[in-house]
Amino acid sequence: MSPWERRERGGLYYTRSRKEGGRVVREYVGGGILGELAAQMDALERERREEQAARWKEEQEELDALEATVEELSEASDLLVRAALLASGYRQHNRGEWRRRRELKESR
Amino acid sequence: MSSKKADSNAKSDSYSPSELATDKKKLMDLIDRAQDGDEGALPLLRKILDEVPSVARIIDLARNVERSLIENMSGDDVFTQEAIPRNLKAMRKEIAGENPSPLERLLAERITVCWLELQYFQAIYAQNLGDLSITQSDYHQRRIDKVHKRYLSSIKALAQIRKMGPAVQINIAEKQINTSG
Repeated sequence: MSPWERRERGGLYYTRSRKEGGRVVREYVGGGILGELAAQMDALERERREEQAARWKEEQEELDALEATVEELSEASDLLVRAALLASGYRQHNRGEWRRRRELKESR
Repeated sequence: MSSKKADSNAKSDSYSPSELATDKKKLMDLIDRAQDGDEGALPLLRKILDEVPSVARIIDLARNVERSLIENMSGDDVFTQEAIPRNLKAMRKEIAGENPSPLERLLAERITVCWLELQYFQAIYAQNLGDLSITQSDYHQRRIDKVHKRYLSSIKALAQIRKMGPAVQINIAEKQINTSG
C-alpha cells in the first residue's frame, strides 16, 4: 500500500503505517513539503536498516562457516575415538559409558 | 542377519582402508557394525587405524581452524597474532601432559581449538552487547551455548581415553604431521 494518500480535495497526504498490538495503525504525517521531508527521512531510515540487516547476515554467514570447521574437526575426532575404542575391544553401553567387552575381560 | 545388512557388510568389506577413512558415511557404517557386535568389522577398523594417517589429517585440520580463528580474532593486531599461538602451544602441552599418546595429542588439539572458539564467540557477543536487538542477542547466546557444549564434550572425550589407559592406542604416521608449535 502506498504511503501517499489522495485526499477528497485532491492533495496528497503522506502516511506512516505501524503495528500496534497486532493491528495496523496508520499515522497521518502531512502533505506538501512536510510530507515530502517525512517520506525522504523514512526512505533513508529504511535504507539504513536494510544495510544493517545485510551486514548482520554477512557477519553471521562468516561466523557460521568458521563454526562449521570446528564442528567438522569435532566430528572427525569423535569418529576416530569411537573407532579406536571399538578396535581396542570396548563397546558403548546404551550410547553412554564405554565398557570393555566381557570376553576380553575374561581372557585377561 | 537381514539380507540388506549382509549386503552392506559385504560392500564395506570390499573397500580399501583409505577409501573407508576418507568416506565419513562408510566409516560410520563400519563403526556402527562394530558397535552392534559384528566381529568381522574389527579387523578392517584396526587396519584403517594402522594404515591411514587419520590423526595427522585431523591435527592438520585443527591447526587450520586455529589459524582462521586467530586471524578473525586479531585482525591487523600483530602482537595478538603472535601472542595467541604461544598461549595455545602452552595450553596444548599442559592438556596433553607428559608423553601423550597420538590420540591424547589429537584430543588436546581439539580442546584447545574448542576453547579458542568459545573465547572468540563470547568476545564478539560482549563487544556488541549494547547494539544488539533481542533476536540478535538470542542468536549469539544460542551459538555460545552450542560452542560451550562442544568444548565440554571435547574435555569429556580426553577424560574417557585417559580412563581407559594404554589399552586404547592407535598408530600414527608421524612424518605426515606438521605440528610445529
